[in-house]
Amino acid sequence: MSALLLLLPGLPLVAALTLPLLPETRTRAAVPCGAIAAALQLLATLLAWRLAPADLNLPWLPSLGLQLQLGLDGLSLPLCLLAALISGLAILTTPGDQPRLRLFVPLLLACDGGVTSAFLARNALLFVLAFELVLIPTTLLVAIWGGPRRAGAAIRYLLYGALSGLTLLAAMLALGWAGGTAAFDFDSLSSLQLSPASQRWILALLLLAFGLKLPIVPLHGWQPLTYSQAPTPVVMLLAGTISKLGAYGLLRFGVALLPEAWAAWSPWIAAVGAFSAVYGALNAIAQTDLRRLMAYSSLGHMGLLLLALAAATPLSLQGAVAQVLAHGLVVALLFACAGLIERKTGTTAIADLSGLLNPLRGLPFTLGLLLLALMAAAGIPGLAAFPAELMVFEGSWVRFPVATLIALGASGLTAVYAVRLFNRVGFGRLDNARANWPGTSWSERLPALTLALLVIGVGLWPTALTGWSEAFTAHIALPS
Amino acid sequence: MTATTTTPSQHRWADVIHRLEAGGSMLPDTPENLMQIIGIYKAYAVPMDFYWRDLLYIAERVFLNPLPAFKYFISQEYLDRPNSYAGDQSPLKIWRGSEKAHPELLQFMERGETRAMPKLLHHLWHDRINMEFAEACMQAMLWHQGMGGRFNDYLASEAYRANADKAIRAYFRGNPLMLGLYRLFPEMFLEQVRQLSYTANLGLFWEVMAPVFFEMSDIYDEGGFQGVPDAMNFLVNGIFAVAGRPIYHHVFIDGECHEIIPKSEGFTWLYEAALPYVEAVFYRTSPFRGTKSYNAQAGQVPVDQADFHYGILYADVYPVGSAGIPPTLLMQDMLHFLPPYLQDLYRQHRRGSDDQLIQLGITFQRSMYNVTSAVIQALRAALFYPLDDPDPEHRLANRRFFEAQMDRFLRPEARLGDIQSQDYR
Repeated sequence: MSALLLLLPGLPLVAALTLPLLPETRTRAAVPCGAIAAALQLLATLLAWRLAPADLNLPWLPSLGLQLQLGLDGLSLPLCLLAALISGLAILTTPGDQPRLRLFVPLLLACDGGVTSAFLARNALLFVLAFELVLIPTTLLVAIWGGPRRAGAAIRYLLYGALSGLTLLAAMLALGWAGGTAAFDFDSLSSLQLSPASQRWILALLLLAFGLKLPIVPLHGWQPLTYSQAPTPVVMLLAGTISKLGAYGLLRFGVALLPEAWAAWSPWIAAVGAFSAVYGALNAIAQTDLRRLMAYSSLGHMGLLLLALAAATPLSLQGAVAQVLAHGLVVALLFACAGLIERKTGTTAIADLSGLLNPLRGLPFTLGLLLLALMAAAGIPGLAAFPAELMVFEGSWVRFPVATLIALGASGLTAVYAVRLFNRVGFGRLDNARANWPGTSWSERLPALTLALLVIGVGLWPTALTGWSEAFTAHIALPS
Repeated sequence: MTATTTTPSQHRWADVIHRLEAGGSMLPDTPENLMQIIGIYKAYAVPMDFYWRDLLYIAERVFLNPLPAFKYFISQEYLDRPNSYAGDQSPLKIWRGSEKAHPELLQFMERGETRAMPKLLHHLWHDRINMEFAEACMQAMLWHQGMGGRFNDYLASEAYRANADKAIRAYFRGNPLMLGLYRLFPEMFLEQVRQLSYTANLGLFWEVMAPVFFEMSDIYDEGGFQGVPDAMNFLVNGIFAVAGRPIYHHVFIDGECHEIIPKSEGFTWLYEAALPYVEAVFYRTSPFRGTKSYNAQAGQVPVDQADFHYGILYADVYPVGSAGIPPTLLMQDMLHFLPPYLQDLYRQHRRGSDDQLIQLGITFQRSMYNVTSAVIQALRAALFYPLDDPDPEHRLANRRFFEAQMDRFLRPEARLGDIQSQDYR
């Protein structure tokens, strides 16, 4: 039964290896085949949830402390589901006329496999390997299929990613050395007795590694450029799942393994979180490009997440996990809508877009979904982000009331850029000279529509966000 | 007719002016343009056949009904009313079509675009001819006033007041409440009657235009028009043929005819109806309709009413309903009666049948540029000189007239530049 866990990363990785073998004449089949692989992965994850298999433990390089240890718990299960879902939908957003589809889709699947492996890993070195594995295909995807400034975006992403990976490796090795163990499985690591000084050094490395991945201010230098240049499916993956590795790592290794250092530094972490939230929101208001606006919006929401992690109360941690899941859905929906707009209109420059709500020549369906996504991002009740943000604020308030108030204000600013964006893009005059694009087909709408239904569904049934991880977050929460 | 002016015009629309001087239209002469405008004339004529009948019904029969909830429920008498300018029985027969309501109109009134059901349900479901468009045109004429002719001045005359007073008293005979209100607020009632006089004016105008457009469609189907100038010249000739037909306002109360504006006043179709209509509806209308809003305090609305530019010649058809006259309703009306060749054309472009409303709106814009061209050429013929006049002074006068007309399309909102391209759809 444990072998079932191998299927989760195995399905996308095997598909990634076999899809390039498709004949030239069947290139377009890469998209449905890739989506089927992701769908099977999603089904396998649901099956694993129902069957609750025991952890898989296979020797790999025992002398280095590297074991193929995979397991599902309340934290990794929802994230694996999120990864499979977003990957499948990201593949479906891939246009059929995308050049070199037999390479594009496998690289997306490789990212999916890497992220899933990281979420499943029960061994710190295996986690580092999976963490690094994601970097290579993502960089290639940005470098080959990105926008006009793709080279700069890819290099910046690679440099930040490499620094993140190296720092993470250093942190994990330091964990072993400081603990005097060569075993890097999570059970061994969690039983280590580390001195407060060691904990602080290691936490500093972890904050740098995962802060670069999330990202948080001031480690976000790669994000706006990469999000604005990456192809839509790639940016959906980046914002929806890959960046969530940072949140996962901070929870799994920061809060859970280094509680004393975390408690000591939490006021500073909370301050950075609140600052990130304000910084992201204010920058989003100032943006003139749809994708960059969404990038800064995402940055702001990661600030809220960091605040919740810093508070580390049972409720705030539950809120943090909920925020990871809700934000994954919402930001993927935002970028799916932005991708549709860009594909039809040829631009994401806000100044060049207006009147898209025109019922006959605009993109009213896409704009409807965009409005839903913006409302969700603004934390409107009934949508996915509301319960998550409510728990974040309520859970953080008891530890950091000032930071929570600041973050609350920043969350209010979301409505400012959401309304501003929608007003400019949706209303106004549709330009006769430009508006000669075709409407969106149902197959193009499907990924965004699915995400929109999930955003509504999860908003109406918030247990879907919180139920999975309740026990885990209660277990690692810091004592009040 | 050929242009013999030696020096080319330096006007921004010099190409268009040279085309007008050569006897052409503001709309370029292409087979597709011809097909588009004739097709839309036909689609326009069918609802117009209802507009004029119902406008006359409102002006002559509904009159001052304080609760005119059923004014769009035209009586059978007015639906059967023979057109004065078409049909064998017509004493003023000018066009060859039938005097009866068009069969496509009758069929649509029966079933709508849904199915046969009581008239009230069709009305409430908006599955009907949108008289709101016709009334908006009438209100534009009433509101702008002073666009030439004597009609508007007459509405302020003592003779008109006396005629209207008689009709008002006759209409409310035995109704002390309304007569009391009339005594208290006479100007309010008079203003309503003035509006009804414009309603009659527009009804009589469209009574002429409907058979013109039907005949143009028939001629095109028979292969009769060779180009856009032919279609324009047909309109010019039509304008002169009916220019002197009377414009009047009669009201029928208890079987008695009250002549509020008698035919003997000598108001004529061209000067009291056609020219004010073109000015009010094609050029001016008003800025407060549709989805686009205008801010007068930000200087987006001209101070002088004569500078208004919200008509179909300036309308941005994309944001549906943004023009002064709500084109959405007219587009919806025309959509039901598109000839097959126009439907085929729309299916081949842009979003095919999904955005036909916009495509036909732009076609309508093209066609109205052609109608305006006909009016400009008719005015030139009436007030200035033949296009082939050998006298250079006369040709120069014609040139100045055309340039003055084209000055109205210098403002950026004008669609004259757009319609020069076939890609504007």
